[in-house]
Parts: sequence; C-alpha cells; structure tokens
Amino acid sequence: MKKLFIIALSCLSLAAVAQIDRTKLPEPAPAREIEIGDYEKFTLKNGLKVILVEDHKLPTLGWTLSFNTGPITEGDKAGYSSIFGQVMGAGTTSKPKDVFNEEIDFMGASLNVGSSSVSAFSLSKYKEDMLKLMSDVLFNPAFPEDEFERAIEQSLTGIKQSLDNPDAIAANIRGVVNYGKDHSYGELVTEETINNITMEDLKQHYAKFFKPNIAYLVIVGDINKSDAQKLVKQYFGDWKSGDVQKENFEMPNEVEKTNISFVDRPSSVQSVINITYPLDNKPGNPDVVKLSLLNQILGGNGLSTRLNMNLREDKGYTYGAYSNIGSSRYSATFNASASVRNEVTDSALVQFMYELNKITSELVTDEELELAKNSAKGSFARSLEGRGTVASFALNTELNDLPEDYYATYLKRVDAVTKEDLLEVAKRYIRPDKANIVIVGKAEEVAPKIAEFGEITYYDAYGNVVDDPTKTVIAGDASVESILADYVKAIGGKEALDKVETLEYSAKATLNMGGQSLELTRTVYQKAPDKFLDLTIIPMMGEQRQVYNAGEAKMIVGGQNVPVQGPQLDAMKYFAIMFAERFYNEVGFEGEYKGIKKVDGKDAHRIDVTIGSFTAMEYYDVQTGLKIQSDLGDNGTYVYSDYTDYNGIKLPKKLTVKSPALPVPLQFVVQEVKVNQEIDKSVFN
Amino acid sequence: MTRKISFLLMFCFVILGVTAQNIEFEEYKLDNGLHVILHQDNGTPIVTVSVLYHVGSKNEPPGRTGFAHFFEHLMFEGSPNIGRGEYFKIIQAAGGQLNANTSNDRTYYYQTLPSNQLELGLYMESERMLHAVIDSTGIATQKEVVKEEKRLRVDNQPYGSILEKMLENAYKGTNYEWAPIGSFEDIDAATDQDFVDFYETFYVPNNATLSIAGDIDINETKALVQAYFGEIERGTKDIPRPEITAPKLDSTVTETVFDNIQVPAVIQGYRMPAQGTEDYYALQFLTQLLSGGQSARFQKTLVDDKAMALAVQALPLGLEDGGLFINFALPNQGYSTEDLAEEIDKLIDEVKNELVPEREFQKLKNQIESNFIAGYGSVESIAESLADYHVYFGNANLINTEIERYRKVTREDLMKVAKKYLVPENKVVLTYRPKSEQEQPADAKLKKEGGNR
Repeated sequence: MKKLFIIALSCLSLAAVAQIDRTKLPEPAPAREIEIGDYEKFTLKNGLKVILVEDHKLPTLGWTLSFNTGPITEGDKAGYSSIFGQVMGAGTTSKPKDVFNEEIDFMGASLNVGSSSVSAFSLSKYKEDMLKLMSDVLFNPAFPEDEFERAIEQSLTGIKQSLDNPDAIAANIRGVVNYGKDHSYGELVTEETINNITMEDLKQHYAKFFKPNIAYLVIVGDINKSDAQKLVKQYFGDWKSGDVQKENFEMPNEVEKTNISFVDRPSSVQSVINITYPLDNKPGNPDVVKLSLLNQILGGNGLSTRLNMNLREDKGYTYGAYSNIGSSRYSATFNASASVRNEVTDSALVQFMYELNKITSELVTDEELELAKNSAKGSFARSLEGRGTVASFALNTELNDLPEDYYATYLKRVDAVTKEDLLEVAKRYIRPDKANIVIVGKAEEVAPKIAEFGEITYYDAYGNVVDDPTKTVIAGDASVESILADYVKAIGGKEALDKVETLEYSAKATLNMGGQSLELTRTVYQKAPDKFLDLTIIPMMGEQRQVYNAGEAKMIVGGQNVPVQGPQLDAMKYFAIMFAERFYNEVGFEGEYKGIKKVDGKDAHRIDVTIGSFTAMEYYDVQTGLKIQSDLGDNGTYVYSDYTDYNGIKLPKKLTVKSPALPVPLQFVVQEVKVNQEIDKSVFN
Repeated sequence: MTRKISFLLMFCFVILGVTAQNIEFEEYKLDNGLHVILHQDNGTPIVTVSVLYHVGSKNEPPGRTGFAHFFEHLMFEGSPNIGRGEYFKIIQAAGGQLNANTSNDRTYYYQTLPSNQLELGLYMESERMLHAVIDSTGIATQKEVVKEEKRLRVDNQPYGSILEKMLENAYKGTNYEWAPIGSFEDIDAATDQDFVDFYETFYVPNNATLSIAGDIDINETKALVQAYFGEIERGTKDIPRPEITAPKLDSTVTETVFDNIQVPAVIQGYRMPAQGTEDYYALQFLTQLLSGGQSARFQKTLVDDKAMALAVQALPLGLEDGGLFINFALPNQGYSTEDLAEEIDKLIDEVKNELVPEREFQKLKNQIESNFIAGYGSVESIAESLADYHVYFGNANLINTEIERYRKVTREDLMKVAKKYLVPENKVVLTYRPKSEQEQPADAKLKKEGGNR
C-alpha cells in the first residue's frame, strides 16, 4: 500500500506535504497579491470617458453610465433626485412603459435609471438590443405624468413613515448639525419640499447633467475592446456635450466643543444615540486603511468589537453598539451609535466616551489588530468576486485620481499597519471632546441626567431649533379639573355623555407592505360603566381580542390566551371605562397637570394620568379643549383627530397609532358608530 | 497488478471540453471512496471548500425523522481538536464565512475563505468527517436549537406547514412522506447510540463529495486533499437508499388545515417526475410560464387583471426520486379559496388545450437561459452545483450542458406534460383557514364584521 502511494505521488508529480498535525490549526499560506485594475480606458470626442473591464467568464455584459454631477443642493425642492429615476425610466417617446418593460423581460435582462446613472445588464448576445433600449431611454425619455404623480405619492407616504422613525430622525439631525440645513449634506426632505417638485424640475435636471463630458461609461463583461469601441461610438458618439456648471462644495466647520442636539419624542422608551462629526478622509488618503482597521476594532462588523463588547455583552444596555468612519472625496463623517434604554442613556454615554478616549490614548492589542486585519482581508477578497466590485474600483481610481495599483496593493497596506499607526490616527481623527451628540428620545426622563456631556439644544424632527420641552409653562388658571371639564363640554357635555349606555364603533386602517395593501379592522364594543372589547383583525397575523369586564381582563392573540396583569391590566382599564374623563378621581385615575407643551405645532395642556403602575400622558388642545394625543409608553402613541358628531356626542373620526411594534403608523378611520344599540353581554366574556 | 491499475485510473483525471458553458473541472476518487471535484479559477483569491453528504431526510430510518437535519447542526459541535462552539469562530477569524443546508436528498456544508486558508478549510471539513464529537452534551444543546428553529420556521410561520402537509399527502407510505425538519418526538426518543450509528453509516468518505472551487493550484490541492482526507476510513455499513415510488391516488386528495393565519390560502400540488427527466424540464417551463416575472400568466391574469388574488406563485420542488409542482395562492378580499382555485385550474386547462404562442415561448427560453448563466457568478454556486450534478446525475458536467436539455423542450411538450401530470390522480389540494373558524363557530357574528373572505 505504501508503495502504491509513492507511485501515485510521482505519477501526478505532487508537491510533498509534510505530515499533518491535527492538534493545531494549519498555518495560512502567504497571502497572494491580487491582480486587479486590468481595465481599458478611452475617451470619445464628446468627452465621454469609457472604462472597459473585459471578463469572459460568463457570457453576460453590463453597461453603467455614471454622471459626475458633484454635490447638488436641492433647496426647497429637496427630494427630487430620489424620484427622478423612477419617472425617467418609465418608457420612451416611442415606447410606452409596458412595451418598454416587456422588451427588457423578453431578453431576461434588466435596466435601471437613477438621478446620476443609467445601467443595463443582459446576456452578451443581446448587447445591441440592450444598447438600443438603453440609448433610447437616455436620449428620448418620455417623463410620463402618471408616473410622476405615482412617485410623488409614494414619496409622501415614505416621508410620513420616516418622520416617525427615531433612527431616520437621528440621521436627519446628524446632517443638520454636522453640515447645516442649507448644505447639500444637511438639507432635509419634507412634505413641503416634495410638494414643491414639478415635472419641469426633473426635465431641467436631465437637461443640465445628462451630458457625455461629465459621464463615465463602465462596461463590464463579455466583450472585446474593438467591439466595445465600435458600439460605444455608434450609440453614444453623436451625444452632444455641453457646459455643466457644478456647485462648489463648502467644507463644514470643525465642531468646537462637544454638545448635545436633542429631539424630544415623549413616547420613546429607548434613546437613539449618535456621536458624530464631519471629518476629512478622501479616498487615497494614506490614513484610509488605518482608519478602517481602527473602526473595525472600535465598533465595526461582528460581535467582538470594543463598543459592542462593552455596551452589549458586558453592560446589556443595547442590542448592538457600532461605529463608522466614512470616506468621501467631499466630506466624510464619524458616527458612533446605539439605541439604549431610557434609564441607561447617561451610563451609555459614559461608556461611549470611555471607549473613544481609550482608543486615542492606549495601543490596541496584537490580537485585536490581527483579527481586524483578517476580517478586512477576508471581506475584501470575497467582495472581489462580484464583477461590479472590479468596475467600481476602476471608477473610483478614475474619479479620485488614485494610483493605478491602489486596490491591487490593498492587502499589503493592510498587512503593513502597526498598533502604533492606529494610535497615531486615533489621536488625529477620534474626537470625543469635539463631537456632536445627537439624541432622539424622551427628554423629560433623559435630558436632566446628561447635561454634563455638553450644552443641550432642542430640535424638532425637521431640524428646527425649538424651546426646551422639559420646561413647564403653566397657563394661569388651568388645572386638571378645568381641563377635563372643558373636554367633556367639547365632546357634547356631561348630560349627553351620561345618557350613553352602549357604544359600538368600527374603524379600518390600511397597511402597505411590499406592494400589497392589507386592510385592518378594529371594532370596539363598550358598555357603561366598564365593559370593553377591542377586536382587531390583522390579515396574515390573525385576530387580536382585548376584553375588559369590571376589573378582569384578557387578551387573545392568534387563538392564544395571553394573561393580562400589572401595568397592562391598568392600561386596559384606562381604555375600558366609558368617558372616564367625567370622573377620573372617582375611578382611581390620578391626574397631574404638567403645563403647556407643543404637540404638532399646537399648544396643548398635558395631564399625566396614573392608574396603578400605568401612566398615560394626555394632551388637550388649548384652543378647542379636545384631547388630541395620548402617549402610552410601550403601548405607543395615539393621535386623535377629525372629531365628528355622532348622535350628539363627538368622537375622533381618525385615530393614528404609532408604536415601536408597528412597521409604520396605522391610521384608523371610523366607518360606523352605534350609540345605545343593544350589545350582547356575552361579547365581553 | 489489477489493483495497481485501478488505483491509478482513479487518480487520473479528464479535463472536460467546452460546451454551452465553459466551467472546467477535474474529478477523481480517493481510495476510501471520497469523490473529489476541483474547479480552478484564479480570478479572485478566495476558495469555497464544500462537502456534500448523500444523506437527506429520505434516508432516515422509521421513527428517526429529522435526523439528517439534526446532523447539520451537530456537525458544528466540534472534534477532539476543535472545541465546542469553536467552528464558527475559527472560520470567521480566518476571514471566512460558512453555512450548511439539508434537503430530502442530501446535506451540504461549505465555507468560503481567502485562498491562502485553503488548508484550514480542508482541515475543518476533514476533522468532522474523521471524528466529529457526538456526545450527549452536544446532542442536548442542538436539540434545543433545532426545536427553536422548528418553532420559528414551521410552527410560528404562517403557512409554515405546507411542505410537511404536501409531502404527507402526496408521498404517503414512502420515505418522502416527511419533511427534513422531522418531528420533535423522534429526535427526543433517539438514544446517543442512534446518533453514533447514523454518523457511522452516512458520514463516511464513500458517501461524500468534496467539491472545491476557486483560487487553487490543482496539484497542490490534490496533495492536501490526500493528506487531510486520505486517512479517513471507508465506511463499513450498508448505506440505505430507499426506493421511492409515488403511491397511487384514486383522485385528488384534499385537506383543510387550520392555522394561525387570517388570510386563507389554497395550495395545489401535483406530483412530478424526478429531476433530470425530460418531462421535468418541460414542467420547469410551465412554472416559468405561470409565474416567472410580472408578465407571467398567474400575475397578469389573477393579480393584475382580475384582482382575485393577493399573490399567486408556482413553487416547484424538484427531488431526486420525484417532486411536486406546487401552486400557492392567497385570495383577495371578496373571493373565496374555491373561486381562486377554479381560476387557477382554468389557466392550467388553457395550457393543456392551447399551444403557448411563439413569442411567449421564446421569452421563457430566454429567461431560463439567462437565469442558468447568471447563476454561476460565484465559486460558492459553482462548488455546490458541481457536487449536486455529480451526486444526482453522476455527471458533474451538466453544469455546462444541462441547458441543452431545456433547449430541447418544445411548445408541444408543454401541452403534453400538462396533460400527463397536472391531473386529478396526481393532485393534492390544501386549504389553509384561520384557526378561529375551527374553534369558535359560535362567534360567527363577530367574524363577519372583520372577516377577510
């Protein structure tokens, strides 16, 4: 047997392999130098720069046209670039959208249009057909009205959702505090700016920027150079160049002293923390690789980063803590972030500052550096497999004037980084003392404990500076009693309410998810004084039934009986007692007047209502006396509007429920109200 | 002498020629029966090291369902040289990523590493083939993990039991009767010795295919493969390969399932011939015709034009010894599952009675060809496909030539297979209904107000 093995080895002239030792992990072989950057460049007379990455591994071919528009400040039309591609890509002057799309489908191909790009992908044998469609939409876009209207509508829906998302709010405020509201990197998209957009704006953008002299055409795939040259000339050669005026990029100011920007979200149970500032880290900067390794150790990918080990694994403040150091040829940002429970917001800030200070004052360990290098090299290597990666390297090399071997030598540069290098860049780039701390959370609970980290400025979700919401403004003669009495009067008066024995109303809400819209139905049955059933039907998830009957409550979700106790039972009682505002003190609801607050721009009296261990914050419009909002902590925020008369009493026709448990806010619209009609008692069992 | 020749033959390789696709590879067997497939592509400095064990849920002995999938978890528990829970960490620290999956027919493990860590990949896979730790601690740990997975993916997932119910009805009395996830009871009832037996029967080199794709040197890799896998002994137990013949159904089998859902669903399944047969390819065309993209017939007719369905999708399940042609549909408000099933049947009848128009047929061909080609853009997908083609068809070169089988399909074939297979004697219909309908018939009044039918 031994002899045979030797014969086999010689037959195949195999390299000798030393006897393996299974008790140790095998040593890696030396890392191979990667040969990337094998691409051709040529420029057409009209200025179109072409980058060709020949790759014949698969018979497929992609064309990506990118316009180097520079920064674009959209001003009072902010958001137009996000809808531009959808409208421009919807057919051409000779082919309506459905015909255009069918022709793409027929080839099993794809085509995408964006505000500064047009790209197409197909089997290489369809390259001419593909170029015909691509150039048709590039030179003869139809810009159809109906698609424009659809895109505006979708954007408005999207904004409503993002304004209720604390992470999206934090991202907006980050831009505002780092760059300023009028800066292209700080401006915000609002309903108002979306509504300002006209079709003409899109056409102007097209006319201004879709010029060959600011464009790069990246061709990746199964084509040779002479074919590529011929086709590019044929399809893009007659494209007229034109003068393109680009904006100047205004560099942001350095943060002088660490300060806090706070967006109050009274219903928040978590604080979103961002520690952020602009920094200069252009591609090609000799510090780029070091900063990327530094970030990996501080708070990059994976569970074992310093921020995550400290704030998540050790302290349990959060599900995840991260950091990010960007790179941009204009301006990049540093951002360290986590979502933490209200009560540990100050402690979490202490730990963030501790880690940021530590990494600027002590060497990282050999093990940390080794892991960061391996992780960087591994993900770099895997990313290279995508053909798009090679193409984007080529484009980056061009756009940023990088050395031709910039990416090819990446692994070597990673290997060369030392612990001392990381400490040196950390001292220059990590600035816990000169940072903007952005917090989106419940100011009343969080703000008093974080003053030591810097001066607090309050913002609304639109980036406007607002008054300190924790300051109490007491209206002269207002009291819990007077506010509740005004409310009772506003919705019909005590006499009318006292006559209501039963109340039944049904409402519908529409939930848009992944192109499908689902209709939710909520029906509430109430019988004075304290019988209550809330039956909500959610397609795909099932039926949810909440019953309260004179002190006892239960919840049935998807056929499962969920016991209701503690604060949850108190919360159910809050909903169950009919028109309890008439006699809060008699039914054990303790009210406390908290002064005048702004709710959606309106002055409102706030009353905190405590029932056992549950507290609701109620807001009553100073002008109308109507209850406009209730913040119910973990149970979300309820916004009441469109008070409508039903048989002499006024009820809100619209109820919007916002909750961390919901993907989007739900707006229930009342369909039918029945007052004093028989309700079978068994309903409340 | 005879011995010597056969040995050498096994080591000598063939470079397969260029066909439709041009993925070159070499394959050979080690002395212990391990089949090795090597694909060299030095374009990117990464390598996928994978092992396919030809064992799936159909190989499980009666009363031990779920074993194959359970092993997919157990195999990450470690070896005498790799500590418990270390497998993931070692691969990640080397800059790699890994995963595994189990079907009715086979279990597949892979890791993708920087190519200078090829040896690590071989070491890790050979460790678990040589001497995986199968002990009560690991078994107990993974029992909890697998139960959690079943709760997450099957029990708590709306319509999560479709595969189980379909297989149960369509393949009763055969080893396709149960799904890979198996049952808690069987896993709980198993003794540690049962697990060891299973390992010794199926996790042996003569039941495995080592497929390596990426930045390798063929000769060096062969030497390393020999060094790490050569010492593993051939299995001595018989490997059961159950015969599966679909039982005769007299007519359509129907079942109503009450689940934690609000929107009812109708699922039609037709038994299919085994993957790789001529009729199988024609049925794949039908799937594309009915639900391949926005212009496909289900989408166009039932969702866009008639607005009867929230969603309709054909989800074919191709298997080594059979399969299922599954249509899944959710009715829109105002339509019953019966209405929708009737419309789906009409579309199926249309295929039986009318030839697909030329242009539409060409679109299907183009889409299939495009998907086939774009599917081989990564070494991970190449390693897996080479292993699958070898194990299922004994012909790894189908990675290049399978498209020819699709190209042979004609419009007439579509009509033929629709008439042959999409018939009542092959059909199982599942209707999913909300649990509330089963449990609370007295509450009919409330339900009507909020119902979704």
